[in-house]
Amino acid sequence: MINETSRMNINEDLLAAILDRLIPAVDDVPSAGKMGITAEIVRLSGQQARFQGIFTKAMQTFESANSEFVLLDVESQDDAIRNFESKEPGLFNSLLTISYIVYYKDTRVHKRIGWSGRTPQPEGNTMEPWDDSILETQRKREPFWRKI
Amino acid sequence: MTTSNEASQQTVDILVIGAGASGGAATAWLAEAGFNVKCLEQGYWQDPAKYASASDDYEFEMLTNWAPDPNVRQRDEDYPVNDSNSPVTPVMFNGVGGSTILWTAHTPRFHPSDFRVKTLDGVADDWPISYEELEEFYDLNDEVMGCSGINGDPANPPRSPRQMPPLPIGKDGKKLISGFEKLGWHWWPSDSYINSQRYGEGRDACNFCGHNHMGCFQRAKSSTDITYWPRALRSGATIETGARVRRITTDNSGRATGADYIDSKGNEKHQSARAVIMAANGIGTPRLLLNSASDSHPAGLSNSTGLVGKNLMFHPFAMISGTFPEKMDTWQGPLGNIGLSQEFYETDKSRGFVRGYTYQFQRSLGPAWIANGGFRDPVPWGEGHHVELEKRLGSVMAMAVIGEDLPEEHNTVDLDPELTDSDGIPAPRLNYTLSKNSRDQLDHAIGNAKKALEAAGAEDIFVDPMMRQSGWHLMGTARMGNDPDKSVVDKWGQSHDVDNLFIVDGSVFVTGAAVNPTPTIQALALRTADYIVEHRQDLKG
Repeated sequence: MINETSRMNINEDLLAAILDRLIPAVDDVPSAGKMGITAEIVRLSGQQARFQGIFTKAMQTFESANSEFVLLDVESQDDAIRNFESKEPGLFNSLLTISYIVYYKDTRVHKRIGWSGRTPQPEGNTMEPWDDSILETQRKREPFWRKI
Repeated sequence: MTTSNEASQQTVDILVIGAGASGGAATAWLAEAGFNVKCLEQGYWQDPAKYASASDDYEFEMLTNWAPDPNVRQRDEDYPVNDSNSPVTPVMFNGVGGSTILWTAHTPRFHPSDFRVKTLDGVADDWPISYEELEEFYDLNDEVMGCSGINGDPANPPRSPRQMPPLPIGKDGKKLISGFEKLGWHWWPSDSYINSQRYGEGRDACNFCGHNHMGCFQRAKSSTDITYWPRALRSGATIETGARVRRITTDNSGRATGADYIDSKGNEKHQSARAVIMAANGIGTPRLLLNSASDSHPAGLSNSTGLVGKNLMFHPFAMISGTFPEKMDTWQGPLGNIGLSQEFYETDKSRGFVRGYTYQFQRSLGPAWIANGGFRDPVPWGEGHHVELEKRLGSVMAMAVIGEDLPEEHNTVDLDPELTDSDGIPAPRLNYTLSKNSRDQLDHAIGNAKKALEAAGAEDIFVDPMMRQSGWHLMGTARMGNDPDKSVVDKWGQSHDVDNLFIVDGSVFVTGAAVNPTPTIQALALRTADYIVEHRQDLKG
């Protein structure tokens, strides 16, 4: 269930601006803040215990120290993020972790990096069968466990 | 699944606390021998179709709702653990099957020397039993759980034939072991409780999905909910899930009488029993014993020595990863079941420490896991992010160092004075520091791991000198021994203080060896159950 309280307290424009600096555009995939993933980040962070509270606190702490962040040039934005990362590593970590999780759930990203993006069940993957010949050298070794 | 109220009010022969690796094994053995056994489990049955491994969102699920750390996962059935005074966080799962739901099922055995560390190396204590005494129970457990592997390992004594051939090594595994071959160091394919072919009741062969540590959709990975528990239930054992034990109860003479617990609907209940078996892991068991203080056991149940909760051992993990120039699809195949090296397992005092370590070879996972620092640091944010992510994805292999962590009384599980679970039961608190011997082991292992990775062709080697989320192996907090003044249980797992109380989980370990402990835990559980069958028929109603 979505934590509506958390959602209401998140400045999604600010989050998008931060995401743009965390994960820049590459090839035909826009920067993370322009991918429309902020709502999903807020939704998941409110849904799961690991992020409840700490993500909201991270955003609020960041915003209180950087109220003009969206107006800064990119170098200054990077400096602000680095400063936050240094001063509040736990809060920054929660923000970065959930951002990476949601970014790498996106089908546009999967397509670009060649990732299937779905569970491999039930078909799984194919591996070469066991080949006993790779033990040839080890089998020549005398037992060396410590006898008592 | 819940037994009827009528059943819960009847006195059972044996009450087992915890339905995991050891609880499942002990329950099945005793039920098959005709004992009336009931198990209380605070978690629930798991549906493989709902495992993280079956979800398209498995990377999110793995890092959140299916995280192995209960403090991250925070399910209703989990209890919090205060780990603020420990560099290692606890890792476990609460449910039928216990931590075997989320384990990698890498299943080496102790070495004979592991039972004699005092005699051989002058440290810690010898076990009151030998490898040879445990061997038949290792074999029995292999048969039930199903072991893929191959005989002939020169680092270990000969074994009975494995039930199935080894799992494939894979091109990534071959790459990693090439380093060991070049250096002339030992390696051997892992014994794994993962089916390399169909085995057991309705259990398929592994499909190499790479997700076995997220719950096995195929039921190819062995967990006790699909191995021991079907046998136990067929033999008449019962299990009540969602049942959180508050305390083990005792009578005026100090003998165990059963357990007070809270059922899945929040009702306070009591289950009476002629004997109690603790199988709640190396943190949960001492927590419950300490929560069971009474007039006859003022320091906690079975704690006349004050040793309950002391001598906590983990296997502090160092993780050394290498990024290879080749793309090897490292997310295919079981995560930690390629092989191991025990080149540096036995003591060589010229190394500057006693005892030794195992390397467990590791694959790596998908992009969210890689980005968030799987087996190493997170991928940097900003302009270099994409290049670095692409370099690592499908190319990171690692070696986990499992060093033998010797027992020290100052490493403890006790009761937190403030923290409780959702039912108000005092939660456990960890106090743990890494010893110099363990640190020296890890540092030695790190140096050699770098050599092996370089020999295998890795280009970017990263060292995590001690993984924080690595407390899988919870051992030593109710140790066994022949001397009642220096141990909590005897060599059969029977409490020195309370003759109808037994402990069968990793709490009873005297020392921890340098291998994943579950086969040893289960072999000990079977041995204790066998002792009850052979010598404690008085517990049968």
